Amino acid sequence: MVRYVGDIDLLSLHALAVRKAGSPAAVGAVLGRDEDEVARALEAAVANGRAAGANETFMVTPAGQAWLGERYPEAFAGLRADPEATAAYERFESINRELLALFTDWQMVPGPGGERAPNDHSDAGYDEKIVDRLGALHERAEKPLGRFAQLDPRLGTYWERLEGAYDRVLAGEHDYVTGARVDSYHTVWFELHEDLLRMLGRERETAP
Amino acid sequence: MTAVADRVVVLDGSTSPSREVVGNKGRSIARMLSLGLPVPPAFALPIDECRRYHAAGGELGDETWEAVLAGLRDLEERSGRRLGDPARPLLVSVRSSGAVSMPGMMDTVLNLGMTAEVEAALARLSGDPEFAGSTHERFVEEFAHTVLGADPDEPTPDVPSDPLDQLRAVVQTVFGSWSSRRAKAYRRHWGIPEDGGTAVIVQAMVFGNLGEDSGTGVLFTRDPLTGAAEPYGDWLPGGQGEDVVSGTHDPLPLGALREQLPDAHDRLIEAGRLLEREHGDVQDVEFTVERGSLYLLQTRVAKRSPHAAVRTAVDFAEEGAIDRREAVRRVSAEQLARVLAPRLPEDAAESAEVVARGTPACPGVASGLAVGDSDAAEAEPGDVVLVRPTTSPEDVSGMIAARGVVTEHGGSTSHAAVVTRALGRPSVVGVGDGLAAELAGRELTVDGTAGVVYAGRLPTEEVEPGAVPGLTELLAWAEELCPVTVADSAPELVDLDAEGLGVEGDETPDRAALTERLRGATAARGSVLATAEGARAVLAAGVPAVVRLPGQPAAALLLRLVQEMSDVEEGRNQ
Repeated sequence: MVRYVGDIDLLSLHALAVRKAGSPAAVGAVLGRDEDEVARALEAAVANGRAAGANETFMVTPAGQAWLGERYPEAFAGLRADPEATAAYERFESINRELLALFTDWQMVPGPGGERAPNDHSDAGYDEKIVDRLGALHERAEKPLGRFAQLDPRLGTYWERLEGAYDRVLAGEHDYVTGARVDSYHTVWFELHEDLLRMLGRERETAP
Repeated sequence: MTAVADRVVVLDGSTSPSREVVGNKGRSIARMLSLGLPVPPAFALPIDECRRYHAAGGELGDETWEAVLAGLRDLEERSGRRLGDPARPLLVSVRSSGAVSMPGMMDTVLNLGMTAEVEAALARLSGDPEFAGSTHERFVEEFAHTVLGADPDEPTPDVPSDPLDQLRAVVQTVFGSWSSRRAKAYRRHWGIPEDGGTAVIVQAMVFGNLGEDSGTGVLFTRDPLTGAAEPYGDWLPGGQGEDVVSGTHDPLPLGALREQLPDAHDRLIEAGRLLEREHGDVQDVEFTVERGSLYLLQTRVAKRSPHAAVRTAVDFAEEGAIDRREAVRRVSAEQLARVLAPRLPEDAAESAEVVARGTPACPGVASGLAVGDSDAAEAEPGDVVLVRPTTSPEDVSGMIAARGVVTEHGGSTSHAAVVTRALGRPSVVGVGDGLAAELAGRELTVDGTAGVVYAGRLPTEEVEPGAVPGLTELLAWAEELCPVTVADSAPELVDLDAEGLGVEGDETPDRAALTERLRGATAARGSVLATAEGARAVLAAGVPAVVRLPGQPAAALLLRLVQEMSDVEEGRNQ
């Protein structure tokens, strides 16, 4: 029951905006589309002044952002009006709030005096509890993400990436909770959030 | 067939069951009891019962249930209360207790035995109907989510009103959680056998809100901020359980307990002393006083500030509780780095110009030229501070290149906060509209500990080991124990960074390659020597001396070497 898929020109630029910068291969991976097809769309966007760059790294220009802003309401009108999408997004937001608190707890340990100090990961019990909370939230996220993937199959790649990050966390690779240099849970979740906000025309509850 | 008595372990201090039988939490309760300490009555269903549950295809056998009822009868006798009895209500907590802790296990259900009648009784006994109501509410929510698996995003389903039905369901949930998806995935990753299981601990709840001589609190056996050998803690008169931990109420210092209930206070301090001796480390003890009677709920090794880590390690060694090597090992490289981190002079705030204040997001001090975007941060050759309205994934490369980060918007969970902490870049977030443009091009100093941004590059002060209580002793011991000398220079050395064997970003060179290169060397120098990999290579190659780089504290190198040496000798990997 796939209901909403936009055209490749719009999607390529949208995915580029979500990732902020990237190669046709990276954008193709987000979209689940062929690299060559994406490369052609991005090159066309460069010709229209909507993107800048070439070959390996493209970026959306301000004109491209404006164009996306104009196109979004119409391109995702169906999705925006779909109560299922709205319901799934509400769930996503409720999980998001807890997940953000979890990221802080992971990085900053409440100290004896109440002040938080960077987590030096010397307390395995503390870390385990957070990994367990992450597991519970990850399981809770499966439903809304499954719903999104039914509405638009390309969103299924986010679930796979989140599974990958969670799996590495379970295996003891702690950098995959909030690490900035890897496809950590935080990295993927932030990207997914940005993607959903743009498609659904929503604002973040708090400043990013 | 096994007798009922063998299928339940009464925790009353008469026996000392192993962790293989009653799990870690059960063992911890038994240990407190064996020291003669007051612990609320409890019993355990041993791990074997979990195996039986799974062997029967996820069914709670009649004999297991008989064992639960036998344990409960004993609990009722010892507490003088009964489950579901409004005249003398007993409420229990139910916990999982594995020999190995792992994610996915059901953790705790509190206040089991709560019904409408018991709520009314509790309101009468405590004189606090609001407390009784919220306890009931919390139980229903916890039960619904933990036991019935209700999605928090959906309405709360019905919870059984018969306390025995509640108990049966929670026991099944604890056993069942052994084969939860998360627990299975964890065991697969770590090669933990599938034929283990978890015990169930059922313990009487005690109440800190029954009358004037009641309350709840936390005792640290030493001051967790300074490490001073004096008890420290919180006391919340009339408070119940999680009120202290959750921080929703403002507790009083421990001295208030001494004044209010001197007997309970003295017994608590004595209990802390016993537990500290038993465990050989500072303890963090949760306790409740119910109508003047002290109960210990939990004890564990206390978290402490880096300064306290140094001081308590040295004090414990000097008191003879641990040896010097153990003392050195108790202070991690990260803790030492934080103790020795260069800081702004105390009077910086008075003498320097404050250009912005915001939420401290990642602690530490950093200075540089303020730049407004990531490209500039990467292009600028000198130290830079990235100043942005907000940050997003496109800024990560700029944040890596910058020394510090300042944002106009967002709080402690913002993208900038999460990422700078992951990268260890001092940051202040949410300094207010328009400041990014205003600050760009200026020299700044970011104090990510205080949440202040100063104009100019402020000099930082090095911390002398003598200024940190205990550090001089600790370093002297490390030097004695260490087979490697840490020096400022050497006539001849292998310079690992110059040979391309340095730390690049987060990447360290392969240990085998390092060891190979260092074999036969008389001294070595390099960024990698501050890491575990580098220290192990030095030890494996038998290098007699390492030479510190500028900015590489000798203390850090020394401590790392001794710690890795101890781990290698004990066969611990990583």
